[in-house]
Amino acid sequence: MFKKLIIALAVGGVVIAVAHSQEVPSDFQILWGVFAMIGAVVFMLLDAPPLKTMNGGKSLFAVLAFWAVVITVCIAGASLLPQFDPEDEREKINKLLEKQRAASQQGKAEELIARAKALDEQVKALEERLKTLGTGQAVVASAAPAPSDAKPSAASAGGGDVMKVGEEQWQLQECYNCHKLRGEGGKKRGPELDNIGTLLTVEEIQEKIANPKSFMAEGYEKEWQKGVMPDKFKDLMDPKEMLALATWLGSFKNTAINTPKPIKK
Amino acid sequence: MKKLWHSLPTLVAFVALCLCVAPAAYAQELGASSVNLPYTGNRTAVWVVAQLHILFAAFILGAPIFVVIAEWLGYRKQDPRYDRMAKEVTKVTVILFSLTAVTGGFFIFVLLAAYPEFTTWFINQFYIVFAVLYPALFIIETILMYAYLYTWDVWKGEKKGRHIALGIVLNLVCLLILFVINGPTSFMNTPPKAEGVSPQDFLAAATLWDKIANQSWFPLSLHRIDGNVAFGGFIAGMIASYMYMGSKTQEERAYYDWMGFVAIWIAVGGSLLQPFTGLLLAYEMCDYDFSFCPYMMADQLSMFFEVQGMMIGLLFLAINYYSWLSVKRIEGAESVRMTILAPIVLVAILPVTMWVMNVYWIPDPMSLAILLPLVLSPFLLAKLVPLTVSARTVIKIGFIVMLVSDAVWLTPAGFVATGTDMPDELSLPEGWDYLASMPAKLSAIIVLVFITVVNYVLYNRTIKQGTIHWGKIDFVSQFVLIFLAFVSTWIMSLMGAVRSLLKKYFHAYSLVSDFTAESFTPTLSYSAWWITGITVSFLIIVTLAAMVALRPSVSKVRELEGRAVPVEAKSTGT
Repeated sequence: MFKKLIIALAVGGVVIAVAHSQEVPSDFQILWGVFAMIGAVVFMLLDAPPLKTMNGGKSLFAVLAFWAVVITVCIAGASLLPQFDPEDEREKINKLLEKQRAASQQGKAEELIARAKALDEQVKALEERLKTLGTGQAVVASAAPAPSDAKPSAASAGGGDVMKVGEEQWQLQECYNCHKLRGEGGKKRGPELDNIGTLLTVEEIQEKIANPKSFMAEGYEKEWQKGVMPDKFKDLMDPKEMLALATWLGSFKNTAINTPKPIKK
Repeated sequence: MKKLWHSLPTLVAFVALCLCVAPAAYAQELGASSVNLPYTGNRTAVWVVAQLHILFAAFILGAPIFVVIAEWLGYRKQDPRYDRMAKEVTKVTVILFSLTAVTGGFFIFVLLAAYPEFTTWFINQFYIVFAVLYPALFIIETILMYAYLYTWDVWKGEKKGRHIALGIVLNLVCLLILFVINGPTSFMNTPPKAEGVSPQDFLAAATLWDKIANQSWFPLSLHRIDGNVAFGGFIAGMIASYMYMGSKTQEERAYYDWMGFVAIWIAVGGSLLQPFTGLLLAYEMCDYDFSFCPYMMADQLSMFFEVQGMMIGLLFLAINYYSWLSVKRIEGAESVRMTILAPIVLVAILPVTMWVMNVYWIPDPMSLAILLPLVLSPFLLAKLVPLTVSARTVIKIGFIVMLVSDAVWLTPAGFVATGTDMPDELSLPEGWDYLASMPAKLSAIIVLVFITVVNYVLYNRTIKQGTIHWGKIDFVSQFVLIFLAFVSTWIMSLMGAVRSLLKKYFHAYSLVSDFTAESFTPTLSYSAWWITGITVSFLIIVTLAAMVALRPSVSKVRELEGRAVPVEAKSTGT
């Protein structure tokens, strides 16, 4: 048993030392070190003496204890890994569904509920005022002003800064998952776009977003053939948003970056 | 009272079936408002009930395949143990069949209460499926299932072939149900579409067949078929372990030891295909919409896949550990030897496969042209190389390679929740990043499968040269059987969650948005709690069902009844 533990420690130590010398982050070193220890446990189990047969209450207790261990390991294992923060996504989804929600029956129902609540508050405020007038007390006009802004704000993509809307669409549609821009995002799935403004006009960029097959980036023949870029964006963005995104992308004219040449198809 | 007890599952199934059909009629009424389900919230409630239903359904669709294979093996080998095992698993299946119907009906009700508008829309899309096809097939399956169980003792001897044929028909109906219901299920992820046409416009012109035969329908069905066989086997293994623990005699212990062993090997047969049909499903999903790919592998769900790798690694380790324990109880196993090519190939296979996968990605035939001769060489060239090593050494080397493969599978691009927020200090440096690539992951899977096959071959060779002592397996093996059932159920629930989460903020991808506040990706920790809860609930119910179906008192009563009937009367009385 000790022999196996020593071997595992030695193997783990060597792996960690090599990884450390190559500047591999410590999390990976820990992972591989843990695997060396798991190896020790596995080999201990392989050579362990047989477990005696249990019966009745003893076996029931053993099964329950075993279940408890397995459950704990499963939950703890998953909880110890890095956790995605749903708040990041929730905000994005809210923005993406804002218009649809407003147009849907549910959206209309929510608007009606909001109006009803506002009216209810107005009625309550009036009742308070009447009560205070009736008892001759001074009216303190601080309670519940009429909520004139109860309607959901419609100001979104329409007005305001086009560039801001364009950048927002870049984030909302998660274009960064495939395209690198300003040194961020992209996993070589799509071309780096820092110089796209030099190679395509805003109209052409818009065409490419709406119809991904309209242009093929040089060196991305396979991806173009397979239709890796989804053709769903025309359904997810309205023309104004798409134009804003194209305008924003068109402003990137960094010739130091080798954005592949788009070929008209 | 006894009659009532026996007809109870039928009654429950019938009521549940009515529950399934009722929403189809209700679906005609539009504009219902949703109910806010307490404690769990709407989405989690739907998730839990749906997943429980899927687990029961997976068992009752997978177990008949397992059962008919076992019955056929028993008939062919004239080994009554197979027949007994098949019948016992069928008894449990019948009880779980009712629970499948109950959870199915409950699922539709919860869905209707939580998401009435979507459910209405969804049922209208598949009206014929939900109102006609599915209930009709379910009724046929019910009749066949009961006929299969109740004709067991009637159609034996010369009539056994007839009974096996009935089992095959039952399986065909089960498969048909699986394919039919996978239509609506896969539709939610990959509704039919065409280039240049909006999804709504395409749907308006789509036929029912277009909706069913969507892009992920066939791969999902394939993945579920082999998954169900594996699942049925693992659950049967768990039942065998409980019965082994409760056995009073050595004879019973020998039988349940044997049952656990056979169940696991049938499960392994299904498990070996699982990673590949799973990859096919993932490939089709990514081909449908490439944004699924980073969402799964690099972003919100990347750590879900990290846990999946962890659990599958444990599953394969446990399978091979069980195999090791099985070899250990064979008298004469120490003298079994194998060609030295076997350990050489075992050591070489991971780096070679990683290189091949990097250069010739599947489906390039060159990948097969290099890997196939390599994996077959220990079997084909064994006679040319006189040097041998002991089987135990080969198995131990296999374990080391398995651990290294698991480590490769578990090495992510970075320890972060989403790949987009990856700081350099947490990501693999250049030169090491191939460990996190898809070719490396696929190589790890291939190696795990290969080692399991080698161990199976070794086990068979050992059986031929030694003597098995059934009932004398190391007791720890019974915990391995329970562990395998737990892990396979957990993985199924995890991947069920992943498949559903892939719809992102849609109920039906790109067609019907989910406007509720719950349409975000939950954390892995939160999901793990619920997945574990679902797994434990399911396994407890299965355990209780097994206890009810296989309780010894029933066997004794039957045995006595059997003794009272003369042999002649038994064979001619029917």
